[in-house]
Amino acid sequence: MKKCDIFKDLILTDYIDGELDKNNKASIESHLFECDECRAFLKEVKDKAGLPFQKVLRQPVPSELWDAIKQNIEQEIPVTAPLDVFIDKLKGLFVFPRLVPIFASLVLMLLVGTVTWNTMQIRQTQDKDQAEYLVSLLSPTSILAPSGNNDPATQIEHYFL
Amino acid sequence: MEDIGKDILVRASQGDMRAFEDVYKGSSSFIYNVAFRIVNNREDALEVSQEVFMIIYNKLKTFRFESSFKTWAYRITTNTSINYAKKYSRVKTVPFEESLGEGAVLSEAQSRMEQEDQSQLVESLLGELNPDQRACVVLRDIQGLSYEEIARVLNININTVRSRLKRSRERLLSVKKSPAWADGQGGVVL
Repeated sequence: MKKCDIFKDLILTDYIDGELDKNNKASIESHLFECDECRAFLKEVKDKAGLPFQKVLRQPVPSELWDAIKQNIEQEIPVTAPLDVFIDKLKGLFVFPRLVPIFASLVLMLLVGTVTWNTMQIRQTQDKDQAEYLVSLLSPTSILAPSGNNDPATQIEHYFL
Repeated sequence: MEDIGKDILVRASQGDMRAFEDVYKGSSSFIYNVAFRIVNNREDALEVSQEVFMIIYNKLKTFRFESSFKTWAYRITTNTSINYAKKYSRVKTVPFEESLGEGAVLSEAQSRMEQEDQSQLVESLLGELNPDQRACVVLRDIQGLSYEEIARVLNININTVRSRLKRSRERLLSVKKSPAWADGQGGVVL
């Protein structure tokens, strides 16, 4: 790319819009000082693509605009008001809407943690009960001790003993 | 745009019509003018401005003062205007050659620039651009926003702002550089 083309790109944008830093601005200006073609291009850009817009006058706002807006608002209020009020109240519950996902995640994590902990506790209790039951079955006292008078097997054993 | 106090905006967001009228008074001129330049005709600008104020009225309660009201209003206005221009694309502009008159020459155009009413010439120039380019030129050259502010308003990259402005200006230069224009016939090469 020719050096002038690079400068012309900058003239079209950053230079005429005052967006260049000091160094780049100085570099363009020193080039403009020695290059007739770029100087003519700058003048053309300013005259034809900049000046007409900078001198534009503000258009007066048509008087009917406010009346039309007011009428639209009055028509809209009875239809949407109850729903809007409800939604607003709902939104009002969350003071910081951007934090809602974080709070929701925390609540979910807490809930999952609680359920998991409870499940583990129940399993531990069940395991303990099962272990105690097995131990009680295997212990000699439980094997030899009579479990009750109505048990026929035990009665026979007692007879032979 | 006039400075609109936070208390007025808060009251307007709660449905206070008097406060909303103050918001309108403080912003209608810049909203109408931005819309007018992007859609590039009066009837559509009126319609777009109405739509913009209805959006502001309905969304003001969600405005959190994280950006300035002006930036927010600019964003709503430019987006609504660009969408409208793209959807209806009935830009009723005066062709560039007509805006300059029969046998116009550059010096005549320049003298017109110095006249009080530049509107027709500007309308015809903006008519040469697409809605996205027009929005960038309006925000930069008429409203005086920086590249960074334009990028924020349009929610685009700063380099996109730069390239849209570059293409717009190249387009404007090419229109005026047409051979017919050069020989005084005022033709436009598209």
